[in-house]
Amino acid sequence: MGVSSELLSHTAEVKLRVRAPSLGELAAEAGRALGALELGTTPPLASGPWRDLEIRAPDREALLVEWLNELIYLAETERWVGVEFEARGAEDMVLSMRARGMLVDEPPARVKAATFHGLKIKKTPEGLEAEVVFDV
Amino acid sequence: MEIVHGVSHGQLIHDVPVTARADMRVPARVFADDELWEQISGDRSLEQLMNVATLPGISRYAYGMPDMHEGYGFPVGGVAALRAEDGVISPGGVGYDINCGVRLLVSTLTADAVRPRMQELVHELSRAIPSGTGRGSRLSLSDADLDRVLAEGCRYLVESGMADVDDVEVTEANGSLPRADPGAVSQRARARGRDQLGTLGSGNHFLEVEVVDEVLDEELGAVYGLVPGRVTVLIHCGSRGLGHQVCTDYVRLMDQVMAKYDIHLPDRQLACAPFASPEGQRYFGAMCAAANFAWANRQAIAHSVRDVFRRFYGDAGRLRLLYDVAHNMAKLEEHDGKLLCVHRKGATRAFGPHHPETPPRYRAAGQPVFIPGSMGTASYVLAGRDQASALSFGSACHGAGRAMSRHAAKRAKSGREVRQELEAQGIAVACPSSGELAEEAPFAYKDVERVVDVVHRAGLARKVARLRPLGVVKG
Repeated sequence: MGVSSELLSHTAEVKLRVRAPSLGELAAEAGRALGALELGTTPPLASGPWRDLEIRAPDREALLVEWLNELIYLAETERWVGVEFEARGAEDMVLSMRARGMLVDEPPARVKAATFHGLKIKKTPEGLEAEVVFDV
Repeated sequence: MEIVHGVSHGQLIHDVPVTARADMRVPARVFADDELWEQISGDRSLEQLMNVATLPGISRYAYGMPDMHEGYGFPVGGVAALRAEDGVISPGGVGYDINCGVRLLVSTLTADAVRPRMQELVHELSRAIPSGTGRGSRLSLSDADLDRVLAEGCRYLVESGMADVDDVEVTEANGSLPRADPGAVSQRARARGRDQLGTLGSGNHFLEVEVVDEVLDEELGAVYGLVPGRVTVLIHCGSRGLGHQVCTDYVRLMDQVMAKYDIHLPDRQLACAPFASPEGQRYFGAMCAAANFAWANRQAIAHSVRDVFRRFYGDAGRLRLLYDVAHNMAKLEEHDGKLLCVHRKGATRAFGPHHPETPPRYRAAGQPVFIPGSMGTASYVLAGRDQASALSFGSACHGAGRAMSRHAAKRAKSGREVRQELEAQGIAVACPSSGELAEEAPFAYKDVERVVDVVHRAGLARKVARLRPLGVVKG
């Protein structure tokens, strides 16, 4: 199974479905999809150095929410939008990622936050699947 | 599921009994006519309202306003009052845009006087007020200044000449919640908000130049000083990144402490803690501080709008603040003889003439309530009613309410088409993003006339005047 992401219907916000073989790849794909949302287009190739990001949370769902909220925070405060990701390690309570991104002129604040609403990381025969609602 | 329709007020009430689900503590009640009820039934908002009905300490009903639609945690258009003594407070019940709200400025200019230069005016307003995604303000606050904005809200801007005493008197809570605790606002939230004072933000936030199209209640219209044909400016925005981060920080905290308080909920986004607990009090202090930031933000925007009007029209361009009211907030209020923490998520506070928080100058009418439509459609001014305390904890709707997803709206029409249609109606538009213009197109929203009519007929607030857009600055 490869990784994939798609936008699902939601009356007011943005709902993202992500599928990947592992938790680390799920986080990477969710990060890529968020980058596209922030930029309003398919992100170009990343430039600049890799940066290491580590997230700790009580469980896998909280890890995913914390991870996405960290990217939203960096976009708004550093004008840095992550577009390329690699998982270095993913356990139930720790996520270690590498990321490359791009600096933008205007800090994108289109996405306010990732929410827990209806979030459950499900096991599927091919790997993992999650649906995340973003407040926009 | 059994739904009881139209217990009173004709067919405008739809009740979900408390027995509908084992975990509900109170029934859920939605104000809607048949068509709005059908729209509400078409998404997950009713399920979300039933989830709200499971919150510990919830009083009377979980209420849904006629513009209710699917959100996250709470539905947008949801109202819940939790007992301060033994109930909870939930950041998800306020939302990320803490104290998102609306203020209305009124002028003595006529529409005929401003129409010839409307495109130029809208362009200048968009230049003066940073609007779009994350654009920073021309004001950058020091730590000490930011602390004062968080603690004092609009009052702080009086000192700096960006507000006058009259503005403060006609802002909800005088634009300053005394329970604000700047120390409870994280460094991350400060970093997001530091250079955002005086900015509109993105999404459905906007600034509109409007004309008073019709005064529907002459007596109430006279109290508010609304005259047909006169120009007004409506500002809709909130606490920007600072508020978003406060909510993020405290959803995380509440999520981690719920087990300690033996709280179990059907949706993790409703994460909460007892209002009286240290975590509940800390969130309340941070939320009040973010609310103060939002009031100062709308005041700073109004200051810029006034500056532009002064440059265009001289003394004739003076803009008087009619009122400023929030629609994403948790407030301590007395209803049914009890102290309650009333959560309004996409619902406008609507107090009647005799409520002590209604400004003295509006005691003959009730607190002004503003219901923005969507671009190209009417907005409404209403007046709060005393009886709304018993009907909805003194709450009304907050807008038309979305009917179509953003994705579907963009598929249906391009931003360029939407702009052309608005311009064909004589509405000048300034928007940095064509895609976002399409997302906020009028057809993506419910019929505001119908929504406001339900609010009026259900007795939540009275219609006072209808406004029509002349120019739109989109965030």
